[in-house]
Amino acid sequence: MSTVLLKGLGCLGFIAFSAMFLIWLERKVSAKIQNRMGPMLTGFHGTLQPIADTIKLLLKEDIVPKGVDFLSWWLAPFFVTVPVVMAFLVIPFSSKWIALDLNVGVLYICSVTSICVLGIFMAGWGSNNKYSLLGGMRSAAQIISYEVPLLLSVLLVVMQSGTMSMQGIIHAQDHGWFILKPHLFLAFLIYSISATAECNRVPFDIPEAESELVAGYHTEYSGMKFAMFFVAEYTNMFIISAIATTLFFGGWHGPFLPGLVWFLLKSYGFIFFLMWMRWTLPRVRMDQMMSFAWKFLTPIALLNLLISGWFMVR
Amino acid sequence: MFFIYLKSWIIRIYMGAYSILKGFKVTFKNIFRKSVTLNYPIDKKPMSSRYRGMVDLEPPKCVICYQCIKICPTAALDMGHKVLEDNKTKNITKFVYNAELCCFCGLCEEICPTDAIYLNKMYEVSYFQHKDVINIDLMSKEKYKNVDGGAS
Amino acid sequence: MGELMTINMGPQHPSTHGVLYLELKVDGEIVVDCKPHLGYLHRGIEKIAENRTYTQFIPYTDRLDYLASMNNNLCYCMAVEKLLNIAVPDRAQYLRVIVAELNRVISHLVAIGTFAQDLGAYATPLFYAFRDREKIVELFDSICGNRLTYNYVRIGGVSADIPAGTEQYIKDFIAYERKQLIDYNELLTYNVIFLARSKKIGILSKEVALNYSITGPMLRASGVKWDVRKDEPYGVYNKFDFDIPVGLNGDSWDRFKVKLEEIEQSLRIVEQAIGSIPEGNPVSKVNRVFRGTGEAYVRTENPRGELGFYLVAEGGVNPYRCKIRSPSFSNLGVLPELIRGLNISDAVCVLGSLDIVMGEIDR
Repeated sequence: MSTVLLKGLGCLGFIAFSAMFLIWLERKVSAKIQNRMGPMLTGFHGTLQPIADTIKLLLKEDIVPKGVDFLSWWLAPFFVTVPVVMAFLVIPFSSKWIALDLNVGVLYICSVTSICVLGIFMAGWGSNNKYSLLGGMRSAAQIISYEVPLLLSVLLVVMQSGTMSMQGIIHAQDHGWFILKPHLFLAFLIYSISATAECNRVPFDIPEAESELVAGYHTEYSGMKFAMFFVAEYTNMFIISAIATTLFFGGWHGPFLPGLVWFLLKSYGFIFFLMWMRWTLPRVRMDQMMSFAWKFLTPIALLNLLISGWFMVR
Repeated sequence: MFFIYLKSWIIRIYMGAYSILKGFKVTFKNIFRKSVTLNYPIDKKPMSSRYRGMVDLEPPKCVICYQCIKICPTAALDMGHKVLEDNKTKNITKFVYNAELCCFCGLCEEICPTDAIYLNKMYEVSYFQHKDVINIDLMSKEKYKNVDGGAS
Repeated sequence: MGELMTINMGPQHPSTHGVLYLELKVDGEIVVDCKPHLGYLHRGIEKIAENRTYTQFIPYTDRLDYLASMNNNLCYCMAVEKLLNIAVPDRAQYLRVIVAELNRVISHLVAIGTFAQDLGAYATPLFYAFRDREKIVELFDSICGNRLTYNYVRIGGVSADIPAGTEQYIKDFIAYERKQLIDYNELLTYNVIFLARSKKIGILSKEVALNYSITGPMLRASGVKWDVRKDEPYGVYNKFDFDIPVGLNGDSWDRFKVKLEEIEQSLRIVEQAIGSIPEGNPVSKVNRVFRGTGEAYVRTENPRGELGFYLVAEGGVNPYRCKIRSPSFSNLGVLPELIRGLNISDAVCVLGSLDIVMGEIDR
């Protein structure tokens, strides 16, 4: 009983620490790409900046706009944050450090992270604001559409390794990472595009498109509620990169360093790639994004599944 | 016919992916460039020699010709003088500058025949009280005491 | 179908450049009607001109189109010189051309950066554009003392000669900027997402553009080869060799591309001017008093279009009337026509490609 409690607390501590680290990393990476310096004064090269941000968000006034639908507006941040925390149950940090190795690990993660859509939609509807409504509806359409290519590419990995449990997939990569095989490389590309859309990052950040609708679905939130949306987004980023590491990059396998260090290195490397993509590409338009998902990614994923399935069975 | 369509589709995908990769290359190259910003307020840069900051005066050089008052587009300067008993020497009684009306155009500096009035290099100008900037007495040496940056 | 929703892209919005209030009527996400409300930045500059002397009014012209300050000064001073028959020395003419073209470069850099930001390339092209702009702005700081409102061109010349070392600095900048233009083309112009967002959006045909009296890069992107510097040359522009880039379709991508190519042409002009600048004294004393009668209209090519100053004088030290024909005001008039039938995202893209500055629309 106490080991479960310890593991749960460990996960929560890791989430808090990782969100803070990611806030700092995002600001430094964006500053380096844009030829400037980023935070420098708070702590050595700005390392205490996330703490300053957290204290500021905690001390802000919690503004409740007039006319909000109270229950849906109030519950929306929880519906976004809790599923993301739940998904930490099956992340394999190393060969011994996994909270619970379910034998349907991949299915569990994909189903749990789908609940986030409800939270965003509730936030959009509950705030009494036209911009938030537009943002919430766009986001719901986007996330639901991009789940299909995501699941199709993850399905290919499951077919290749024969098991749905996370540790099982890592053990199936003992003789070489999955990304080195051609049909799985294509699955990796589809997965990374769909996962970026799942997380509402550029080039798919229409729900929070800052130059069109002032802040999209989280316009009317301030203080701690906004901090929960923020933390949920960064933790979601960590989860999709952890899944990418497990499914395609070999998890915690590596020559000299312990498994935990390799896992964190690979995950944060994928996160760096996501951030690099954010500061390079413009945003796609709503209808172009939907047609990209349905008319381009899904047929390619299905074709990939068909052809590689035929090769596997032969 | 179908193969022509397929070939053009594949070329379009290839060109699209290639253009995105070139964009990545540009931003990646810029990670290794030196930063163009300074770590203010620890590092500060000096202003150029012709920079137009706040208006300043050297009273001994002024010949009380009133040209700067006449040319100021926003009427930010005001002066008064009195003539002594020998009907020749003039003294300035007041020289008032309203920094809120000033538009920092530098016309007063250009027209002064003796370079008595000039624009100094102060660029950190912020104040707490209205009265510190609307009646600045240009004759005193402590004119910019309450305007941030003037004390240094 | 269904009822229309009214969205206020109000005076404070991250992507209307300045304080522009657009009242959009949307049906779902398609814009059905659009009504711009102006006047949030009105300062009465034309009325102020009737109470200032000719030299005193020059700082006010800086603040009309605050991104192209040198060009505004130049047009006003040329109008006064035509009204009162004042000659300008040769070196001053060359210096005016150099600063006007460098100002065109930095104004187009701002337009490119903010257009990319409106499309969602969140801040990176903007920072690159401002990093390049910083070099020219520092040069202007060493010439005239200010970074945005220069107040450099005077009636009958310029206010001060260029300091030593400026010519070498400009030559280094031209070499540096030509490398940066390759970067912009790789990062933005042929990027597949950028093309998908801006091609065939907001197509402005030749006839509609000429009917709405559009000028500047917008007109050239629609296929009309009209540039005041070539068709009615002023100053010493007829001594330089440069091209006029013209677009094919008149969509937002063409407007972007025309601006990028105009930067290259401006660098060519500056290179030729620096190479052949004559000696002399370009300074015009500021304590001359100007009086005269008559009226004059002068037009020049601003980065945004054709700026015109109409001056009427009746013998006093102040002009009797000063009327300003601003390019952004006429260019904004075509906006409701262009965005009917587009999404809100495309409306933002079209507004960004129009490249308006509220300072000269509201005056």
